[in-house]
Amino acid sequence: MSAASAPAPRRRPKGGGGSVALSRNGRVALTGFFVAFLIFLYVPTALLIVFSFNESTVAAFPLAGLTFDWYSAAFENPNIRAALLNSLKIGTACAFFATLLGLMVSYPLARRKVFFKAGISALLLLPLVVPTVVLGVALLLLFQRGFVSIPLGLGAVLIAHVVIALPFCVLLILPRVASIDRRLEEAAQDLGAGGFTTYRRIILPLIMPAVLSAFLIAFVVSIDEVVVASFLTSDKVTYPIYLYSGLKFPEQTQTLIPIATVMIILSFALAFAAEGLRRVGERRVGLRNPVGR
Amino acid sequence: MASNVEIPRAAEIGVRVRREGRFRAGQRLSTFGLVGPTVIALAIFFLAPLWYIFEFSTGQKWVAPNDAAALISGELTSISGALWSDFFGDGVIIELMPNLGDQGAAHVTVPAALIGLLFVVLILAAVMGRRLVPRYGGRVVGFSFVALLVPFMTLPAGDHILRLVQLSSESTDLRLFFKSVSMATTSSVIAVLIAFPVAYYLAFCVTKSKYTWLLIVITPFLTSYLLRIFAWKVVLGDQGLINSGLASLGVISADAPLTFLIYNQFTVMIVLTYAWVPFICLPIFIALENMDRRLLEAATDLGASRLRAFAKVTLPLAAPGVVAAFLFVFIPSIGEYITPSLVGGTKGYMFGQAIADHFIGGAFDWQGGSVLALFLLTVVLFLTAATSKFLRAGGGTA
Repeated sequence: MSAASAPAPRRRPKGGGGSVALSRNGRVALTGFFVAFLIFLYVPTALLIVFSFNESTVAAFPLAGLTFDWYSAAFENPNIRAALLNSLKIGTACAFFATLLGLMVSYPLARRKVFFKAGISALLLLPLVVPTVVLGVALLLLFQRGFVSIPLGLGAVLIAHVVIALPFCVLLILPRVASIDRRLEEAAQDLGAGGFTTYRRIILPLIMPAVLSAFLIAFVVSIDEVVVASFLTSDKVTYPIYLYSGLKFPEQTQTLIPIATVMIILSFALAFAAEGLRRVGERRVGLRNPVGR
Repeated sequence: MASNVEIPRAAEIGVRVRREGRFRAGQRLSTFGLVGPTVIALAIFFLAPLWYIFEFSTGQKWVAPNDAAALISGELTSISGALWSDFFGDGVIIELMPNLGDQGAAHVTVPAALIGLLFVVLILAAVMGRRLVPRYGGRVVGFSFVALLVPFMTLPAGDHILRLVQLSSESTDLRLFFKSVSMATTSSVIAVLIAFPVAYYLAFCVTKSKYTWLLIVITPFLTSYLLRIFAWKVVLGDQGLINSGLASLGVISADAPLTFLIYNQFTVMIVLTYAWVPFICLPIFIALENMDRRLLEAATDLGASRLRAFAKVTLPLAAPGVVAAFLFVFIPSIGEYITPSLVGGTKGYMFGQAIADHFIGGAFDWQGGSVLALFLLTVVLFLTAATSKFLRAGGGTA
């Protein structure tokens, strides 16, 4: 940022106008590209939202008129309500356990000597790399033919979602713990606070935004996850699985659109809140750059 | 100033030392208590399952309740590499210019192990070339990147796909893997080509509320992945928004929709690009933003044109971010499942779907499916480990 406002160079390349990085024409072209990019990015989802209010049985132009019937129809459907409830339950439980485990491992990994620390850190992040199809298949093998036999169903899905969401929680919480000034803890301990008191009174308040953000992200990861869940559910389905299996019947598309819209808006709001909290947290521990390093 | 600070008496120091000693012992216990449960949980619910994939793929476990039933269902019941040798087939067929002549394309068959080794060497050369070959390192890296990308770049040409080199195999599954890799390569390259100008614009042209714009670009990535793909299905489908829109404008007839919009390889690639492009703007943006602008000014002061300064200063400095961006799309795309199953149809069928279909689709072949799953896992883990330098550089930001 500071470099951008550095004194202007004496000689500028031909083409005049713009900065060192870009001529004036280049800037205009790039602005156009950027606008086109934002349209490409947002239009499909925006269309989905528009068509959720369309008074027609198929999602097609021309728009017929405004109606909320699709929403009331969707949410009076007992199957959809049950699926939504299942997803909310799994999402909340997953967010709780993943955040709790993330919170537990973050402090020792950031501050203390831990046996085989590099290996443990890698293990915590590994689920992020493993393709979801492979993880789903692997858990299916474990639950059906492995040494822990867990019946397929919502419990199995919950376990899988905690494994998937844990790396996100660790990635959000651990750097925050690591960036806290050590002197704060030392001061607390010099003043007589024990380990747990220091954690509760000093560390926890400072990382609270990151913890909440981890909770929200874990929740979003869970309610959006369909691949692993589709291997591990039985008769009870989650919201995204209901949606996904409904897609096999094109004539149902219009009834699925309001469900999709609700989920887009929900995940959008949660992700935005999580990002906001992350920024608040960074300001709290005194990092200036909002993107983080 | 410090005159009224109380100096602790010897006894008090003793108490504190003793207290700290107990504190340390407690620390060791609590460290174990804090890290242990998670590690054990991951060992059971993450590592053990991956081990079972291995056991299934080598015939040590089977689905049928006993040996006799397994014989009927055609499963292996003892350790064997048969499934693996089936998977790798007789070798990899390398075809040059496969689209030029229908039968006349030059092709040569090479053992699969040799191709595998070649790729490992090329990937390592691309990552470490600069360190291993002191003088010509840059050229080695450049050559390796080109050699890795060119065989897999695809261009749509009418109904079929245009390529310079095509890897193929007698084994259906291996062929499908090559197809998935080439689709992933192409969509990653397109994604980088789109993300770079966007990141460049944000880093160099936007001055007011830069990070808000960055957030606007990235937010779609944070919202539901499934739903963003679903939206494309609604837009592109035969009765979808584009077709119905064009029909209502009278451009096309409603009975003859544009069928090339969906259910083919190219759609899968574009939608994959769409899904990842917001995210990969971030590593490229960070690389450009962290660049020292004075270098550019120095280059132009020394008489370089903007283009030359871009090629000689900006691009090399942004390269690690660009490579990270490429990998962030490429690695998850090889085993992608949702996108091809929503917008791919039969033409856009990918490796990840094949794995799933062995387990929950029509074919009920857990051993064969495990071979595919373990192969994909190995490739992805190797790629991640080999390129972790880049992933960390770009990923520390996420």
